[in-house]
Amino acid sequence: MSDFTTDFLLYFVSLIVLIFTIGIISDGIRGKKWSDSLEDRTEGLNRFIQGWKQRIYDLRKSWKIFRRSVLAIIGLTLIITVSTISIFADDIAVEHPYRNLQDTEDLWWIDNEPRREAPFSEACDWHEQGIDIFAIKTNGNSRYVTAVSDPVIDENGSLTPFPLQIIRLESIEDDLGYELNNSLINVHNETTFFMTDDALNVSSSKIWVTFEFENEEMHHWWLPDGYDVCIMGTTNTGQDLFSKILYGSRISLKIGITVAFLTVALGTIIGSISGYYGGIIDEVIMRMTDVFFAVPGLILAMAFVAALQNTTSLTMAMSSVAFLLLLFLITSLRGVISELLTGEGTPSNLISRLQMKLRESDNGIGDMPPLISVLFKGTLFLFRIRNILLVFFSILFFSIFWSGIWPSGIGMELDKSLILVIMIFLFLLITVFDKNINEGVPKKLIFDRVSESFDFGNPYRFLALRTILIFISVILLIFVTRSSESDFILIKDFDRLWKIQAALILTGWPGYARLIRGQVLYIREMTFVEAAKSVGAPDGRIMFRHILPSAWAPLLVAFTLDVGGTILSASGLSFIGLGAEPGTAEWGILVSDGRRFFPNSWWLVTFPGLAILATTLGFNLLGDGLRDIVDPKNKR
Amino acid sequence: MKLQEFIVRRLILLIPVIMGVSVFTFAIAQIIPADPAAALCGEKCGIVGSNGLTAYESNVIRLGLDKPVYQQYVIYITNLLDGDWGESVTFHRPVIEKLRDAAPITLEMSFLSLAMGFPMGITLGIFSAVWQDELFDQASRFVAIAFVSLPIFWLAMMFQYILGTQVGICDPITQALPLIPDTDGGCFPIYGRHDPTYTFPDTGTGFHLIDSWIVEEPTKFNPQTNRYEVSMSHWDMFIDTLKHLFLPCFTLAVASTGGLLRYMRASLLEVMNEDYVRTARAKGISETRVILVHAVRNALVPIVTILGFSIGGAIGGAVLTETIFAFPGMGKTAVDAIVYLDFSMIMGVTLVTAIIFLLSNLLVDISYAIVDPRVRLE
Repeated sequence: MSDFTTDFLLYFVSLIVLIFTIGIISDGIRGKKWSDSLEDRTEGLNRFIQGWKQRIYDLRKSWKIFRRSVLAIIGLTLIITVSTISIFADDIAVEHPYRNLQDTEDLWWIDNEPRREAPFSEACDWHEQGIDIFAIKTNGNSRYVTAVSDPVIDENGSLTPFPLQIIRLESIEDDLGYELNNSLINVHNETTFFMTDDALNVSSSKIWVTFEFENEEMHHWWLPDGYDVCIMGTTNTGQDLFSKILYGSRISLKIGITVAFLTVALGTIIGSISGYYGGIIDEVIMRMTDVFFAVPGLILAMAFVAALQNTTSLTMAMSSVAFLLLLFLITSLRGVISELLTGEGTPSNLISRLQMKLRESDNGIGDMPPLISVLFKGTLFLFRIRNILLVFFSILFFSIFWSGIWPSGIGMELDKSLILVIMIFLFLLITVFDKNINEGVPKKLIFDRVSESFDFGNPYRFLALRTILIFISVILLIFVTRSSESDFILIKDFDRLWKIQAALILTGWPGYARLIRGQVLYIREMTFVEAAKSVGAPDGRIMFRHILPSAWAPLLVAFTLDVGGTILSASGLSFIGLGAEPGTAEWGILVSDGRRFFPNSWWLVTFPGLAILATTLGFNLLGDGLRDIVDPKNKR
Repeated sequence: MKLQEFIVRRLILLIPVIMGVSVFTFAIAQIIPADPAAALCGEKCGIVGSNGLTAYESNVIRLGLDKPVYQQYVIYITNLLDGDWGESVTFHRPVIEKLRDAAPITLEMSFLSLAMGFPMGITLGIFSAVWQDELFDQASRFVAIAFVSLPIFWLAMMFQYILGTQVGICDPITQALPLIPDTDGGCFPIYGRHDPTYTFPDTGTGFHLIDSWIVEEPTKFNPQTNRYEVSMSHWDMFIDTLKHLFLPCFTLAVASTGGLLRYMRASLLEVMNEDYVRTARAKGISETRVILVHAVRNALVPIVTILGFSIGGAIGGAVLTETIFAFPGMGKTAVDAIVYLDFSMIMGVTLVTAIIFLLSNLLVDISYAIVDPRVRLE
């Protein structure tokens, strides 16, 4: 991934440099000096600063309203705490969640008493070590035995024990788990035991010595010295529960935010389509949401998890990818294409003259040879569909690149430069066809359009940033999903976590769809939308630039509340065994693992549950506070 | 619109949704990576039967898996209407029979939890609205959000721990009543539907709260004599069932209280600004009477709608509580079915929960239309 990051940064920087260079060169070609557009530049900068000032002002006002609510502040504090913990889990935790410093699995086999130590128990830095008496007696091993931990994977990846510092001898047991006299073994010095003669005469091939050791790694830096305790107890495998809970925050936050974000995206798309177009589409979508609402969320999510059981990676047929891309380009270029197809406002005089001539010959006024007439018609047709052809060819280009039809050798060698070429091509393509860049600018030749967008005097150039963003996301998609097979891989490792995430997204979108639909229905009738329609703005523009920005407020509230709800549902799914793998440091899993030892080892259930409660509570309180901000009653 | 007309219209509107749910469950079953034909014959799939086909092949033909998908759907629907919901591989019995046993358990739990949760939520909501922005209001708003944020499974286990296993917490109660068998001296049994020594007839309604009254001879197993003896009354059985139901229902009730409190508070605050409340106050009626008689009664009307949704929520929550309290209801059935990929059971459970949800919503809507005739006009 880091390789990918550096690559991506490289491409991004080179792209910026490229744009600037082209801009300067094109300015030079047109005889424009850098100082000529000084006023325009200042104007652009001023607008930029003005916009940010307004934003900061709004934010301050919102913060004033937010600050009034104690609950919202508590929520924000909780979320900040949990996020900080999840970021710095490595530094706070004393133990990696999947590594085991104490490694007391052997205990489980000997006396069926796994080390589940209660919170604040000092026994968490006890270690049990097996000493092979038989080897000492027969192989002549030394009677001075070094105190070592159980083998742990070291930096080189091999299993090695590391030496321990003995503090105190706790107990000695034989192979069958019977207690032996503590005087059998002497503590020789800080690191070694001495086996007495009596110890060698024990009728057991191995004896097990439990001792307290200097466990610096188990020491929390924020606890007083010499206070080495597991503050939340240990799990049945002897792992520190506190560390596991700290790491669990990562998974929970990841699930919560990913799911809420994708659910909002899906629900917004479907809901806005439903609300904006109305009619039969609306009816169908609303009946679909009815169906989703009829089945309780958890059962629905469970059914989806079951349905996704055998999916190991999320793939898409290349044809459908091409289709989606085509759909995307066509919708974004809809205005251009329809203009061309209907022939309105065609810029070239030649074409208009051709059309006139054809019309005349059709009406029988002028005389024209039939062959030339056909040629004219063909040219006209090609001209009309030129954008479609371009789109089609670019799609073809991409699918060839993705599907790896090109010989792999060339693909490998040309990889980076090829991507640069594609980047330039894409950028030009999108720039040329993105009408928004040239908004308010009279139609010119293609070269002018391109240079216009690179022109640093053009106050509209900031719009080009959006184009760059679209373009970057396409490149990202190529990178993340680069595959040599005919299938387009969306998610390579579709593990159990992804499955519950997918299930929760599929379960959650109807709520958002309804919410957004209501908002869109309301805003659609407002005057500013009518105004936008009357000047001929395309549907997509009205939707994304006019309607949705006015509907973000309830969405934000719903999003925040949904993060909490998702964390709850995901932990519920984990609890019934459909979520993450058992043993994962995930809160739901920790509760369900601890359930076997409930109620004796109550801490195994209580603390992970409290962690879930705290996080969910944080998001819900924050959402409630945001609702107050958004509420028009509080606007002053 | 007359009431009958309203009901008929709502019933007709229900049909496409139920159809949609059936298509949906069918689609899910198509995607689930389980081979129903292989699951039904198990190890005997290779055995050649009298018709010259292996058991597997004859299963494929019997289930219609060799036909196109749309024909399979038609077969599925016809079978559903005939009452043949398929055979559950996990429970080794017809799906419909298992569901007939499981549904009352979940419904009993859901209804009781609503009966506990609604009074709690509404009362707190009323106080919260009356003392708006005071300390109690702030506290109860916090509590409401906290209740919504509680993981149900965790809450259930905490109740098990505190109310089920801790000796001494409810000594006054346990001294007055005989000690409950399944506990170490706690207040409530922590799992099961009834005392294992009690017997409930299979032929009853399935709702143990009702069955405990219609049992002909309440019998109890006596381990000393190794026999069933009549040594108890209907009342004993009823109380025992209620005790077993308390913890799961209380858990679900707490979980639903939060939302209710918020709705009730908002609804009452809105009503308090209405003209008729002001008129009532102007007439000099005492504040208590204004709130209880004039405001609360009107504020309760929109709350009725939430009742319908709460049933869905309670059934969803029952998935977790039934797993924890070992109730063989629909939630537990659903979990088992999904863990073992028992696809006919998954389809059955989904369909039945959807139908229960839709019907309860319909009932709520109808009662709403009776209470508030304005609804019918829409």
